[in-house]
Amino acid sequence: MKQEDINLERRGFLANSGLFVGGLIVAFHVPSVLTKAMAAEAPSPKTVYPPNAFIQIAPDNTITIVINKLEMGQGVNTSMAQLIAEELECDWASIKSISAPVDPVYNHTVFPMQMTGGSTALSTSWDQYRKLGASMREMLKMAAAKRWGVSDSEVKAEKGFVTHPKKGKLSYGELAEEANKMQMPLNPPLKKSKDYKIIGQSIKRVDAVEKSNGTAVFGMDVRLPGMMYAVVARPHIEGGEIASMDEKAARAVPGVLDVVKFGKGKAAVLAKNTHAAKVGRDALNVRWKENQNSKASTDDMMKDFRERAEKKGLVADERGEVDDKLKGAKKTIEAAYEFPFLSHAPMEPMNCTVNFDGKTADLWSGHQMPTMDNGAAAKVLGIKPDKVNIYTTYAGGSFGRRASKTSDYVIEACELAKVVKKPLKVAWTREDDMRGGYYRPMNFHKVSVGFDDKNQLLAWRHHIVGQSIMANTVMAGMIKNGIEETVVEGVAKTHYDIANFRCEQTRADTPMTTLWWRSVGHTHTAYAMETMIDEVAEVSKQDPLEMRRKMLAKSPRHVAVLDLLKKQTGWGKKKAPKGRAWGLAVHESFGSVVGQVAEVSIEKGQPRIHKMWCAVHCGQVVNPEGARTQVEGAIVYGLSAALHQQIQVKDGQIVQGNFNDFPVMRIQDMPKVSVEFVKTDEPPTGLGEPGVPPSAPAVANALYQLTKKRLRALPFSRELNA
Amino acid sequence: MDIHINGKTIPINMDGDTPLLWVIRDELNYTGTKFGCGKALCGACTVHVDGEPVRSCSFPLKAAEGRKITTIEGLNDKVSVAVQKAWVDNHVPQCGYCQSGQVMSAVALLRAKPKPSDQDIDNALGGHICRCGTYQRIRTAIHQAAKSIG
Ligand code: FES
Ligand code: FES
Repeated sequence: MKQEDINLERRGFLANSGLFVGGLIVAFHVPSVLTKAMAAEAPSPKTVYPPNAFIQIAPDNTITIVINKLEMGQGVNTSMAQLIAEELECDWASIKSISAPVDPVYNHTVFPMQMTGGSTALSTSWDQYRKLGASMREMLKMAAAKRWGVSDSEVKAEKGFVTHPKKGKLSYGELAEEANKMQMPLNPPLKKSKDYKIIGQSIKRVDAVEKSNGTAVFGMDVRLPGMMYAVVARPHIEGGEIASMDEKAARAVPGVLDVVKFGKGKAAVLAKNTHAAKVGRDALNVRWKENQNSKASTDDMMKDFRERAEKKGLVADERGEVDDKLKGAKKTIEAAYEFPFLSHAPMEPMNCTVNFDGKTADLWSGHQMPTMDNGAAAKVLGIKPDKVNIYTTYAGGSFGRRASKTSDYVIEACELAKVVKKPLKVAWTREDDMRGGYYRPMNFHKVSVGFDDKNQLLAWRHHIVGQSIMANTVMAGMIKNGIEETVVEGVAKTHYDIANFRCEQTRADTPMTTLWWRSVGHTHTAYAMETMIDEVAEVSKQDPLEMRRKMLAKSPRHVAVLDLLKKQTGWGKKKAPKGRAWGLAVHESFGSVVGQVAEVSIEKGQPRIHKMWCAVHCGQVVNPEGARTQVEGAIVYGLSAALHQQIQVKDGQIVQGNFNDFPVMRIQDMPKVSVEFVKTDEPPTGLGEPGVPPSAPAVANALYQLTKKRLRALPFSRELNA
Repeated sequence: MDIHINGKTIPINMDGDTPLLWVIRDELNYTGTKFGCGKALCGACTVHVDGEPVRSCSFPLKAAEGRKITTIEGLNDKVSVAVQKAWVDNHVPQCGYCQSGQVMSAVALLRAKPKPSDQDIDNALGGHICRCGTYQRIRTAIHQAAKSIG
């Protein structure tokens, strides 16, 4: 391909992904009068956002909305734009969304940085984005009124125009420049939910066309003139260093341009294309130095966890007299649960493109925490953060991996760029991605549940042994008195009304790096809770749904979800068809409650999931079809892990490497999923993650009906195929 | 050698063992075709070779000699348009990364079987992975596309 073509291609790419060049988005001018006014009126600066930093109205009336969250599949470029469009009173067809650059104005409204995570995109943008739309609408009205010499109250905003009964109409595009000079109203009137025209509609995704015809640009697709492709030799467990390698063999591979040692004991092969770089990297045939992790194994780690569970842990939540009641119990269930490390395995493996010339750096990736990535890159490169430009592309999935707590893959690419000082892209192979650390931590739960002489639940002691996610990171401050929310959430402060209850936590570190994985602690806590609750229902001879409803009576969201689920399935009246069974689970996470009923059978010794009914309470639903896709996807994500997935370590090496030994459900495994929402106009709560936690226990509870075997070590294949 | 791709003939000077995927992506800059696994396990890299869906990550360049290659960028017939429309209508793509491959297999299926059964869909798309879990909608979209083509 000719250089002109590449340059053209690049320009096309830059324009398509809205990368703030060519004056597309100019610095948001906030007139000083306005800043003063804001300073005087605003309770705190972080609650004031200049509308023109988020809404760009072009003379032709097209409206560009700047999305300060990463579009990684969850649909923020559509749903967040809906919030602004609703209040702005514009024509949806004129809307375009782009990803925000790094700037404090785009910080998260709760966390002091720009980031996407914790299923907070809609819940925390709900007020912010609606107010932005409303402020801009009011400013457009003011501008029109001023031009016409009429009062603000005489004009109306509708479908992208400001109108006046006598003066006619002016388009937003005509008014934009003047509007931006108007005094920004700090508390613009917001619409009532009954008047919504765009919120609550299943508007088609703004990115659906480009994601169906191959034109959507992901980090992996970024290409710079003269760019080299790099594939890196890294240790399976962080901290390993290269002892020896065959540099000559790598250089002999056609297309290989260079072999570079960099960072802490790593090496990269740079080549004309990704394939040559990979073949070159493999040809290095690296031997790693022996270290304290050379013999590490997950079996040993789990053994250590199990032993630690025998000692008392730190108390995360306690009520009643657990120990006494357990001693006096007529019957007890002692259960031990094992949860493996899990890889996120997003469809697009990690990658990062860097152009560093020694003074400034441009960085491309699906950045989930761009503020952190910006700071980390600057530090490694030895330049000021404002000399680093971060460009956020679409991300081919993340599920937590791209919210790296250490910016690991960005730092690595910058370490290499610092040595090479030429444009390069570090591309990870699938194996690199799966063996590159940052896993859902391994966990062990020891649960003791006691019953009285009438087989009624008396006491519940729950001890979680697992590795920290936040320790030794900038988030370490969120660990309070040794208790880490991301480990105990979902067990501690359970909504179940249990008179004698204690949740303990023991932190058990391993050499592995850990990270949040779609629904974080709830991935394992919901499983232990919801399968044990099922056992309680069995022992106490109660219906699993009715018993939950009774024990959750004080939590209106849970009750509403269980009632909806009953309606969807006919629970209590209908039964699963012959040879199949139903299982139920309900769990709250990220502010939302999700209940699921699974219909399963066993075919050739393997579980087959036919149907999943889901009832969801997540507040106001902004885009119902979009919301459904999140729950459908969460089920596939959760069940793929429960059925098949684990990351094991043997002799310091990660066993699994690709989708053959880390299987994912496929179209032929897909159950029919039907998702319904509890109707409400309460503000939105999370939805990207909450569909995951109940899926595995719902299926496990159904399988129990067929096998009379409680599956307590995940994935299921470990016990079913044993 | 020459490569015939999306209606063009382009001379290529690369090692014949290079997987077609990397020729397409890194040399010819058709980045719609994706890398997901490199081992014919996920389908993200699917292209058409003489109309048949093929995993380009595991198909050497030299095997493409004299054959017609179509990537997602080269789709433009009635079936392709119907499939892509059905994808948008049914909210299929989430992150979108797997979807080029899914679309390529769906188009090949509908060309061969204008009215596919669920079993046909499982057979044709069963080699694809979608980490976002869009399978149910892919099925619906294929049926809708089949109907719309008539
Ligand atoms: S990249 Fe070719 S099948 Fe996965
Ligand atoms: S849409 Fe994300 S992997 Fe399929």
